[in-house]
Amino acid sequence: MNGFDPFSPGGLLAAGVVAAAASLRLLLPSGGESRSLRWLGGLLGLAALAAFIATGRRLGGLGEEAVFLIVSLVAIVSAAATVVSRSPVYAAIWFALCLAGVAGVLLVLGAQFLGVATIVVYAGAILVMFLFVLMLAQPAGLAPYDRVSNEPLLAALAGAVLLGVLSLSIGRLSASPSACCGLPSRTGPAAATAPAPAVTDADPLAADHVARLGGELFGRHLIAVEAAGVLLLVALVGAIAVVARGEQARAAAAADARAAGRSLSR
Amino acid sequence: MQELSPTSLLVLVPLLPLLGAILTVALGRRLGSKAHLPAMAGIAGAAAVAVTLLVATARDVGPARGHGAEPVRPVEMISTLWQWASFDKAYAAPPGSPAADLRLESQPLSRDAALRPFSIPVALRLDPLTATMLTIITCVGLLVAIYSTGYMHGDPGYPRFFALVAMFVFSMSMLVAASNFLLVYVFWEAVGACSYLLIGFWFTKPEAARAAKKAFLVNRVGDFGLAIAVFLLWMTYGTLDFHDTISSQGVIMPGILGQTRLADAGGYVGGIVGTAICLLLLLAACGKSAQLPLHVWLPDAMEGPTPASALIHAATMVTAGIYLIARSSPLFMPCPGALALVSIVGGTTALVAALIGTVQNDLKRVLAYSTISQLGYMFASLGTGTLLGFTAAIFHLLTHACFKALLFLGAGSVMHAMGGVIDMRRFGGLRRVMPITAATFLVGSAALAGVAPFAGFFSKDEILAALHAKGWATAHGGHHAAVDASPFRPASFAGEASATWGPTAADPVGLDALDSPATWQILFWMALVTAGLTAFYTFRAVFMTFTGPTRVPEGAHPHGGHDTHGHAHDSHDHGSHGHHAHGHEPQGHVSYESPPAMTFPLMVLAVPSALIGWLLFSTNWLGHFLSATPSFTATAVASTATPHAFHMDLAVQGTIAAAIGIVVAAIGHLGRRSDGPQLERFLGPLGGLFANKFFFDQIYAALVVRPLEGLAMLAALFDRYVIDGVVDTIARIPLALGGIIRRSQSGLLQRYALAGVLGVLAIVVLLAWQLRP
Amino acid sequence: MNPSASLPLLQNALTVGAILFSLGLVGILARRNLIVMFLAAEMMLQGISVSLVAWSRYHGDWGGHVLVIFVLTVAACEAAVALVFVLQAFSRTGRLDAAAWQSLREANVPRTVDHELPPIDTVPPRFPTLTPAGVLPPEDEDARLERDHV
Repeated sequence: MNGFDPFSPGGLLAAGVVAAAASLRLLLPSGGESRSLRWLGGLLGLAALAAFIATGRRLGGLGEEAVFLIVSLVAIVSAAATVVSRSPVYAAIWFALCLAGVAGVLLVLGAQFLGVATIVVYAGAILVMFLFVLMLAQPAGLAPYDRVSNEPLLAALAGAVLLGVLSLSIGRLSASPSACCGLPSRTGPAAATAPAPAVTDADPLAADHVARLGGELFGRHLIAVEAAGVLLLVALVGAIAVVARGEQARAAAAADARAAGRSLSR
Repeated sequence: MQELSPTSLLVLVPLLPLLGAILTVALGRRLGSKAHLPAMAGIAGAAAVAVTLLVATARDVGPARGHGAEPVRPVEMISTLWQWASFDKAYAAPPGSPAADLRLESQPLSRDAALRPFSIPVALRLDPLTATMLTIITCVGLLVAIYSTGYMHGDPGYPRFFALVAMFVFSMSMLVAASNFLLVYVFWEAVGACSYLLIGFWFTKPEAARAAKKAFLVNRVGDFGLAIAVFLLWMTYGTLDFHDTISSQGVIMPGILGQTRLADAGGYVGGIVGTAICLLLLLAACGKSAQLPLHVWLPDAMEGPTPASALIHAATMVTAGIYLIARSSPLFMPCPGALALVSIVGGTTALVAALIGTVQNDLKRVLAYSTISQLGYMFASLGTGTLLGFTAAIFHLLTHACFKALLFLGAGSVMHAMGGVIDMRRFGGLRRVMPITAATFLVGSAALAGVAPFAGFFSKDEILAALHAKGWATAHGGHHAAVDASPFRPASFAGEASATWGPTAADPVGLDALDSPATWQILFWMALVTAGLTAFYTFRAVFMTFTGPTRVPEGAHPHGGHDTHGHAHDSHDHGSHGHHAHGHEPQGHVSYESPPAMTFPLMVLAVPSALIGWLLFSTNWLGHFLSATPSFTATAVASTATPHAFHMDLAVQGTIAAAIGIVVAAIGHLGRRSDGPQLERFLGPLGGLFANKFFFDQIYAALVVRPLEGLAMLAALFDRYVIDGVVDTIARIPLALGGIIRRSQSGLLQRYALAGVLGVLAIVVLLAWQLRP
Repeated sequence: MNPSASLPLLQNALTVGAILFSLGLVGILARRNLIVMFLAAEMMLQGISVSLVAWSRYHGDWGGHVLVIFVLTVAACEAAVALVFVLQAFSRTGRLDAAAWQSLREANVPRTVDHELPPIDTVPPRFPTLTPAGVLPPEDEDARLERDHV
């Protein structure tokens, strides 16, 4: 790595990471409502996205690339919006959109069941629970604690460092396991000279994807599935127990207060 | 018994009291009121052995021969117990010192003479001087132990007292029997420690604790002198032994006071080193024997129990200084200036102490100053440097032990009967109610005052004779020849002249100028005046206590009620000077006499106080006996021998002085109430000077004590603020650091999570850096 | 070797997953609203799911898929229990603020309080009104308990 070429893949990546960090810092709520700073942050974020897209690998065809780009952009932009939204309800809605994007990415990767499951379970169940709690607990108007962040600079830096390291490591991936630390190549898998084994439908890409997934789950991972079921039961019971205990405590306190009041009035 | 030779018996004298002390410490609590038995058995055994040894040594010395016969040969018996330390090639002797001396008529030294061997044997030596001292120590110790069974009866520290007394007898016996200067130093310190423990016996009383501390610290000054003297002795003579030893290579190592060196005319050094050694030994003796300027501890030491005062501060411990100088007499002979200084110190102390003693109202204080004064006499006699002077000093030591112990025990008897009151102004006319005590006290006082034919008369007379002879000899160029008789010149001195002795080293310090005839004349007259003062204050005390109307203070114990007294014997009431509690007149024939345990020793001691002077003087047994001591057979000392004679002129002078003193005392106090107008007021400003002890305590407080307290305060401040400050500051650093770091613990969980994440990221980045291609 | 293994696809998908994960991390560390923190946590799980499925696609086996299913399950359980705790926390302090809980701080550290924030100048909406005519309708209980702004 002699000299720093800003337009080398490494340089662009670094620039993108820095821009992403800066944009997050500016976009995170910080008390003062300076609109210009938020616009600047948004621009920086877009610049970061552009950098990442520029260093992305070229997929097979334009259609593939376009689809992947669209769904991943949806996921990433809505994820960013979730994190920086002032109002938590808006954040929840943006998260729903992020889930949609993620489902799209999963579908592009061939995980049919998981893509749908993400929508159904996450967006349908978990997110709705979050919204219920928000309705119960969120004060009218913007709460002060929604308008401030906790150490935005350090958090943005942490995210940036992590992203940088991960991107670096991803860039160093190569096809052959033995050359694990070779320079990232632009042109795709390098060791295509290995003799191609018998062409079978890659399992996840087969037609009966869900059936095979079910077979895999209840075949090799039966015990884990059962354990997951038990975990769900335990979570259910636990949640009820915690609430019940809370109710008991409240009822007891109220009874004590009533008894005290009666004894005083005597 | 042939197998029990004196050398093997000698070790029993210190050993038996030591065993008694150990047994008392171990079993004292359980024995209760019989706790005195082990100690008394030990001391009694030691006394028996000491008397046996005295007889054996006297037999060895042989009968007295007339003056002019062949010189007495030295008598000594060495008993080496074990080797404490021994080095073959220890040091190189400084050139010119006797240690490097090759003139000694012994085997030629080995080729390897550059490194001389050095050893400390634990050896005891029995010679006439030691035998005499051992007898005094053990016999007086035994009588004091018997007395204490009555005096200390009922005291909660009863076992401790006897353990200490036995310990003291052991230490003092070892001190006089040791044949090595280092051992002498060890036991010098030991007797100082026993003295401290006995003075502070009732340590809950602040005055007693303070007095004990004062005694020990003043003794320390003297001990310092002795230590430096020991160092110089070793450097000069190459050994610390008294006796000759044979080293492992077969070389005879001449001891400092061994036969070889004593026979050699030039065996002892003079000059600066010799004078330094002598002066340091004098300093040590002053500390232990309470001479000017280190005398301040002895009067305060009366805070201790009276039997302890009788044993330690009258008869034995304070005589350690006399013993040391007598033993080291050959070392002093080449330094006439130092000898003269010894006499000057002694004479001055005698006079000053006698003056202070005239105005004391506390019976024990009178006796304490009397002790200091009599010790001064002994020093004056020692400083004459003649055989007569040395033997007179030891003779006076012997008689003084008898009558001073008697007087102290008598004072204790009075104090015991009067319920702890010892201020003479508060009682009087006790001869009617305490006849035995009164009679024995009178005998002791007569002995002290030098009334013929009691013991003190003869020993004091010998001292006066020594002083006069020295003065005469100095005036006539060192000769001890006699000149024609004349009323006030010594007619009885006859004999050959003695050669001037020793290396005629120049006198660098100018100290020899002290050794002039004028000095000795002045000292003689000082001694006479002191004799008169001694008689005065002694009989003043006798008249105030035992004559006059019989008065007894409140709280006095009649004969039937003495068992219940506690231990709070106040040794003096500083209460009111003028009018005291009036006391009361006892009715009828109530006796306040002490129990037999206390009167028996009084009666026993009265006998030698009356007779021993005449007995020893008329036969000259002691003089002849002591002349066989190796130290006194040194050529220098033995050559000053003079024939034994009774000097009538000096006897008359002494008696006149004593008579004047007694008469003046009688005029003032005989038959009068003792709380009448006091001598102090009669003397005016002089009385104030005497009563304030010549302001020695105040001067010392200003010159020594206050600066030392200031230094101690500075040291304490330094310790508290600098040293502790450094340590505390170092201790505060972690606290401060912690305080800074603690502020990051804000309780905000997201900050904690952020810290954790940053740490993990640091590790990840590090790993990625390590694994880069 | 999976014939349909495509390194660029893998790398791109992993990048997406990494970005989602990082954004989720920033959200947890920075936002103070408990619900938004949980949303960010779920987002981290989404990023992980994407990465796992990408690897599964690259290797051509089911490992990643299966693990994502379990991640889903665990996320659901976690959400349920955590939201119960959030509600308990809310009932204690009346706020959904992570910074409301500071009892773990050291004895000599003062409580961290927010600065005064400038008020948001929002113009309240002006709704048209009609002059009242006739009898006022009785008060509407529901209207009184409703909130007009979320």
